[in-house]
Amino acid sequence: MKYESQKIAQHFYTFAILLFFVQVLVGLIAALQFIWPDFFLLKFNVIRDLHINALVVWLLLGMMGATYFVVPEESQSELWSIPLAKFQFWATVVAITAVILGYIWMGFDPQANKYIFGTLLLNEGREYIEAPRWADWLIALSVILFLFNNFMTMYKSKRWTGIQGTLLGGLTFLTLMYLPGMFYTKSMVKDQFWWWWVVHLWVEGSWEIIAGALLAFMLMKVTNAPRHVLERWMYIEVALVLFTGILGTGHHYYWIGTPKYWLWVGGIFSSLEPIPLLLMVWDAFRTTRKHRVISNRLGLFYATSHAIFNFVGAGLWGVIHTLPQVNKWTHGTQITTAHGHLAFYGAYVLLVISMIYITLPLIRGVTEFNTSRGYRSFWWMTISMVFIVLSLTGAGMVQTYMERLVGLDYVTVKANYNLWFWALRAIFGLGFVYGVFLFVLDFFKLGREPVEAAAPANVSETTA
Amino acid sequence: MSNRGVRNLFVFGSLFFFVIFIALTVDTMKKIDKRAPEITEEVDQGKKLWHKYDCIGCHTILGNGSYFAPDLTKITVNKPEGYLEKFLVHPRKVKPSAAMPELGITPDEAKKIVAFLDWTSKVDTNGWPPKPVLAAYRMPQIPGVTVYQKYNCSACHMIGGIGGTSGPDLTHVASRKPDIEWHKRHIRDPQSVVPSSAMPPFPQISDEELNQLADYLITLK
Repeated sequence: MKYESQKIAQHFYTFAILLFFVQVLVGLIAALQFIWPDFFLLKFNVIRDLHINALVVWLLLGMMGATYFVVPEESQSELWSIPLAKFQFWATVVAITAVILGYIWMGFDPQANKYIFGTLLLNEGREYIEAPRWADWLIALSVILFLFNNFMTMYKSKRWTGIQGTLLGGLTFLTLMYLPGMFYTKSMVKDQFWWWWVVHLWVEGSWEIIAGALLAFMLMKVTNAPRHVLERWMYIEVALVLFTGILGTGHHYYWIGTPKYWLWVGGIFSSLEPIPLLLMVWDAFRTTRKHRVISNRLGLFYATSHAIFNFVGAGLWGVIHTLPQVNKWTHGTQITTAHGHLAFYGAYVLLVISMIYITLPLIRGVTEFNTSRGYRSFWWMTISMVFIVLSLTGAGMVQTYMERLVGLDYVTVKANYNLWFWALRAIFGLGFVYGVFLFVLDFFKLGREPVEAAAPANVSETTA
Repeated sequence: MSNRGVRNLFVFGSLFFFVIFIALTVDTMKKIDKRAPEITEEVDQGKKLWHKYDCIGCHTILGNGSYFAPDLTKITVNKPEGYLEKFLVHPRKVKPSAAMPELGITPDEAKKIVAFLDWTSKVDTNGWPPKPVLAAYRMPQIPGVTVYQKYNCSACHMIGGIGGTSGPDLTHVASRKPDIEWHKRHIRDPQSVVPSSAMPPFPQISDEELNQLADYLITLK
């Protein structure tokens, strides 16, 4: 680590992975509620709100932390203001904690979620963006402070690298795309239309731009590949992400009451969405092969896995049901859940973890660390996630057939024909929780325990 | 191509696609309201309650949401009038096996939520959800079955695995209720024999149809 301000990244990482652990714990409760709806004090809706909101927030915090590391490094200067970054961190922690407590309160007393000045006090009742309006403003303010601090750092240093320009572009786009979720519409169709602007243009737009920039940075860090080559490929990747992804939003506008031309727009452009993701996989392998001086094998291992599972989860598991002819039958089934799980895991969970493994040793000032737990955590998480996704895909296929084609009742299919898929999902969910536990443990121990002689960078341990 | 060239391709290319997206959005906004009924005050209040109770935390609507409970896009088409209003207020009194919790919804709120759901059911969704194509379960070709189908009893009741789960399963109903007169009274006015029932009364059913349906039901042992 070259700059004092990069230490701020660790604050964000710590809060992020604690939320990650909360996310998977409530995820396990949700999985069991599919079998026993009354299992646990809080009902499924609150548990799921916690599950998906913790996901979005911890990934965002992880990306913020990563940005606080990347920007000083790229600008070759300290952050514009460290106190501002610290304030932004603690303000975010307070706001997020308040939102979480609000959800839990609402879980015990649904009537507590009242309309005050026309907006709901505790929960907006819109998937992923449940945070109430007052929290929306606090979150937006936090992101604006964060953007401003990083922008000023770049502006003062006058070193506009491609990586940080793209990162800044992605983060600005992310901030702007939060706004379409902040107004009320009387029509449920318009409500969902604008809601997808936020959700789709985040995960398949701005977040992928950030991912492209961070992947380029990581490859440069661990393989020493020349910047101009990495940046050229980064531009091509993020360009293709947006060329396909922006109009690819159309695949959410098939059946919600929007005009028919979206079937064409969405079908064509979203079918092309896997291409840039495949390019990222090729980029990761090509760079590694060409530049064999690897400084952090575990970090590179996670970064490459991120590229692969981004392609498989977001790309392949998305494209199988993206054509309107197919989607007509699969829309609103567990196929979507399967896609959602693998896409978030591959595209963003592995991305943030790889950023942590690449930057944390530098922040803690260690050149070698035990990697065994990091690999074990990877295999526990990845194998469990693959089987969770296969279980959900199976459930989705059964549901599509039984409910949509044969015409059986939703509850019948869920309670009888899919019961064993829920059981499988819960069992592998437990495996996933164990993998995350190992990762959390590793995060706190990294660089703080004696290095075992054979442990660092020993690839043979990957099967442990 | 130089790095500056690919960067410009990225920036201006993305802007180009975003402009197209905005143009399509403007056009869509003009057309959306024509594809759905007018939004009355009651529908709007129902939508606000939909958000208040975080319904999307379990259900999907227009196919988007939580996949934990049934999709509600066409729910008012599939359930008889009056059923949902009762179910929303006391879900487990109406259907003991329901996973839905008591949220404290008042009868007035339930009416508004149903108005909102009824509005959603009339949105032109380009034919979604599709009608099942393989629903070819062969029921015996007797008059009682025709009546059963005419009044869409399978929206709520199940026989031999086919049908809804809102009402009791009728596969072996005659073993529980062998009395044909009980069935006739129950169909005409359910609350007269089961006071807590959420089944709507069927005064419109003719005497002949009632006899045929009851004859069929008592064969289900």
